[in-house]
Amino acid sequence: MATSPMTPECLLPGPTPVALLDAAGQAIPGDSLDMPGDQVLLALYRMMVLGRRFDTQAIALTKQGRLAVYPSARGQEACQVGAVAALRPQDWLFPTYRDSIALVARGVDPVQVLTLLRGEWHSGYDPYDLRVAPQCTPLATNTLHAVGMARAAAIKGEDMVALVMLGDGATSEGDTHEALNFAAVWKAPVVFLVQNNGYAISVPLAKQTAAPSLAHKGIGYGVPGTLVDGNDAAAVYAVVRRAVTAAAAGAGPALIEALTYRVEAHTNADDATRYRSREEVDSWLARDPVTRLGEHLGRRGLLAAAAVAALEAQAEAEAAALRQRMNSGTRPDPADLFRYVYAKRTPELRRQQHELAAELADLEEAGNPS
Amino acid sequence: MDAFVLPDLGEGLTEAEIVSWHVRVGDIVAVDQEVVEVETAKAVVAIPVPFAGRVAELHARPGDLLAVGDPLITVSNDRAESGADGESGNVLIGYGTTAARPGRRRPAKHEPSMLSTERPAGSNGRVPVVSPIVRRLARNAGLDLASIRGSGRDGLVTRQDVENAIGVRETVRTGPPAGGAEQVTRTPLQGIRKVTADKLSRSRREIPEATVWVDADATELLHLRASLNADDAEPKISLLALLSRFAILGLRRHPELNAKVEDGVIVTGSAVHLGFAAQTDRGLLVPVLVGAQACTLEQLSVALADSTLRARQGTLGPAELTGGTFTINNYGVFGVDGSAAIINHPEVAILGIGRIIERPWIVHGQVAARQLTQLTLAFDHRVCDGQTAGGFLRFVADCVESPARVLRYL
Amino acid sequence: MTTTAEQDRALAAGQAVTMAGALNQALSDALSEDDTVLVFGEDVATLGGVFRITSGLAEAFGQTRVFDTPLAESGIVGTAIGMAMNGLRPVVEMQFDAFAYPAFEQITSHLAKLRNRTRGRVELPIVIRIPYGGGIGGVEHHCDSSEAYYTHTPGLRVVTPGTPADAYVLLRQAIKSPDPVIFLEPKRRYWSSEVVSAQADVPLDRAVVRRSGSDVTLITYGGALATTLEAAEADDRSAEVIDLRSLAPFDDETVIASVKRTGRAIVVHEASRFCGYGAEVAARVSEQCFHYLEAPVLRVAGFDIPYPPPSLEEYHLPNVDRILAAIDRLQWRETASVVQAAG
Repeated sequence: MATSPMTPECLLPGPTPVALLDAAGQAIPGDSLDMPGDQVLLALYRMMVLGRRFDTQAIALTKQGRLAVYPSARGQEACQVGAVAALRPQDWLFPTYRDSIALVARGVDPVQVLTLLRGEWHSGYDPYDLRVAPQCTPLATNTLHAVGMARAAAIKGEDMVALVMLGDGATSEGDTHEALNFAAVWKAPVVFLVQNNGYAISVPLAKQTAAPSLAHKGIGYGVPGTLVDGNDAAAVYAVVRRAVTAAAAGAGPALIEALTYRVEAHTNADDATRYRSREEVDSWLARDPVTRLGEHLGRRGLLAAAAVAALEAQAEAEAAALRQRMNSGTRPDPADLFRYVYAKRTPELRRQQHELAAELADLEEAGNPS
Repeated sequence: MDAFVLPDLGEGLTEAEIVSWHVRVGDIVAVDQEVVEVETAKAVVAIPVPFAGRVAELHARPGDLLAVGDPLITVSNDRAESGADGESGNVLIGYGTTAARPGRRRPAKHEPSMLSTERPAGSNGRVPVVSPIVRRLARNAGLDLASIRGSGRDGLVTRQDVENAIGVRETVRTGPPAGGAEQVTRTPLQGIRKVTADKLSRSRREIPEATVWVDADATELLHLRASLNADDAEPKISLLALLSRFAILGLRRHPELNAKVEDGVIVTGSAVHLGFAAQTDRGLLVPVLVGAQACTLEQLSVALADSTLRARQGTLGPAELTGGTFTINNYGVFGVDGSAAIINHPEVAILGIGRIIERPWIVHGQVAARQLTQLTLAFDHRVCDGQTAGGFLRFVADCVESPARVLRYL
Repeated sequence: MTTTAEQDRALAAGQAVTMAGALNQALSDALSEDDTVLVFGEDVATLGGVFRITSGLAEAFGQTRVFDTPLAESGIVGTAIGMAMNGLRPVVEMQFDAFAYPAFEQITSHLAKLRNRTRGRVELPIVIRIPYGGGIGGVEHHCDSSEAYYTHTPGLRVVTPGTPADAYVLLRQAIKSPDPVIFLEPKRRYWSSEVVSAQADVPLDRAVVRRSGSDVTLITYGGALATTLEAAEADDRSAEVIDLRSLAPFDDETVIASVKRTGRAIVVHEASRFCGYGAEVAARVSEQCFHYLEAPVLRVAGFDIPYPPPSLEEYHLPNVDRILAAIDRLQWRETASVVQAAG
């Protein structure tokens, strides 16, 4: 339990984003943050490669009309994977609709990750299996859920930390403000990870906030804010890990802003050329997070060519398996519309279900496929 | 214009050879439609195009080698140009609009509507009636709402209007005033009266009927009835019930009399839906006991009494006034002996019983005073002849004269 | 945490209780019987609530289970959702009806939908208590009737007590329900009291016939119940009064059976008439009782105006006279039988 009260200045982020690797993948000397161990780094790299391949495959599936929509996380792999890797099994993850790579990294079945985006149902996995809340479509509303989850854990004496993911745009929503406030007042074990990828659809950060950084906002609530290089997987991991550990020890919430970039458009149906330049995108492509970590590992002799090849083969195999599994159409039973509205179907819902069933039976009888 | 480039087909390939195109420039393509076959190092793969529209350009010919990322096909997605269906394509958050699926229309199901259609009131359309329940009352009574003058505001038809039309109030004829001119009263045939009149007219018009009659000695029957009704605790057995039971037995022997003629077809059923004439304030009603053949004598008696009461109260529903297969008519209550009754169209026969009075009769060669009654059967001569009709009537008369014999047939 | 409390507490027959007292006791008993129950909101702990509904609870159960939150309604409901996901049973308070609106998104997009979204894996047994309605001379924003917004949201249960004793029963049941419940408390009745009689354990989703009658069915709920009963007593016809209790789901059985018998129905509620809750009741009754109706289904409701200031409130709220006038408009003369009409 932290006993010394934080001075206001302690709550502010440092002058520059925290990083452990430079753009070329070289380790940056410093003592504020510990470099994760080799096994951790290798695991991070592995999950980033697999995650990227998943993301690419999902984009392709959308172009084929197999998904209704796909908000890509390409370019944000370090945030997605680094954060999730820093969680323990008993911790909870509250993702947004963009955090598919994080979900896959956490261990959720890729097909179930895509249930929402394919339009099959609103959520595909059991949240309690891996302690991942359903992908949240409205912005920032999940921040409050994470706070409540964490508060309940504290009340029950459970060792658990909730990590909630939100974007730069979501920090403007009232719920974010309320959540940070509640979390701080309650000293709840919540970590707020803001993936600042530069845009909320087409609206750039400059139109979203006048704050020096999003991490600066923490001080208003009494929450320590950290700014981190979001394309440095090692740093993201280390920062999140530190915050999780502190929260678990009773230090209360933390706000982390990870600077990264949304390489693809908002979703497949968005035309990003309407609001940003090719040059800007290219400049970020040059700072690719996967390449950066890969070069670091390669330089340190931790990543042999054979291992890389094996990893890529695995990525291909998983992508192929995903394509295969996505080909089998699964349409939910229309009766499901009525099953889960209440704990028990009401008489009115039972009546409406029969009404629909009769309609469908008529159509089938008339030879029309329903 | 959308250019679709050769995608990463997921096998680590960097190039593919065009094998054949499935479309030509100018064709309309849909999302996901397979447009080309390419050959990779491992297999021939068909590639679906992710856009809809009109094919503007094919960027390679069969045999050409394309690298991943090279343009493959350009599709024009301008809707006016391509004549596509007004679909939105992918929208920010989902699949977008789709063309209406063909053949989704349900075949019209012509279910009998719960409310039968009403005739419009003259040129004005629907007649305003004060409430649904009163409207139904009018319909059940066979009223033409257009003929009712509504006494409510703006011609609203009220409950009283409907009840009056049905004839709850008796039309009272006034006699000529003292020393005055002749009084003439005009009563239109309306409501129940009209319905009955139409039916009787039709019966006489369509059915070539004949009548047979016979006198029967009802003395023993009356004794039997008296002894049956001696116990006050038991429901009373009526004469009508006894006659009904005999008639049902008779119909079992002569089922052709338990029939209806519909559209030139004689419809005979195994069940006897027994109608009986009941005189009420509103006119002649014929309540029907459905499935009377399954009733015991006692059940018949109770049902007859109940139906009669309800007929007088006016609480019988339409189901209880239709569907008869045979009718019994006790006109004896009017104090007459015989009647050439009118058959209850579309049935084929009607049995009648007159008054029971003491008359001289020959018993065991001696003149004796006996309780005599006359039974008549009017029947549709198209359906049966005198032998059947006479046979039936004789049987019923035998039952009346020697009721103990009926045990044989139970 | 261990549970040591006796189960099945209830109000004692013969006990005199106000609605506020009944609610307080219900919360207390729920907190005693189930240690996953929490009570929180603005001013509920130390102050005991602006209407004292939660008075004494923080003292009795501690400020971990009964606590004050920052002033943020969306925050209150959103964190309640997170707590319920972790197995707790929050009973939260929105201080006044109009102040629940900031929480509207959390209520409609998440509270109502999470079970459905996860195909039943996530359950949110949350109760949101909202004092609602007027009749207390309150200034702007303190007297709204917002039930229609919530009843129109599938996945929510919406209940409202009309009597003090029933307030206890309904709140206990709402807390036990596995579904999220919007619990609307008619604040004008907080101080009305009654002597408790033996209570039938009426289920959460059922209406109750408060007064039997044969000529007309008066359908109402919450704050308007007392006024409607008064009107029923004053009228010389035989009026049946139904207290809906559960606005969503709706108890078709009780209501339809009544109207089929009486042939006449009126809905009474404070909320404004246009697209108000009464419109749904009228539509259902018309649909299911059409052939039994002697007159159209009428609604006695507030005008289609923002809730008035205290000085004009009395003209807006349904009162006894207005209800009686509506009863008079139910086509008695035009549907009387000849015998009745003549006599």
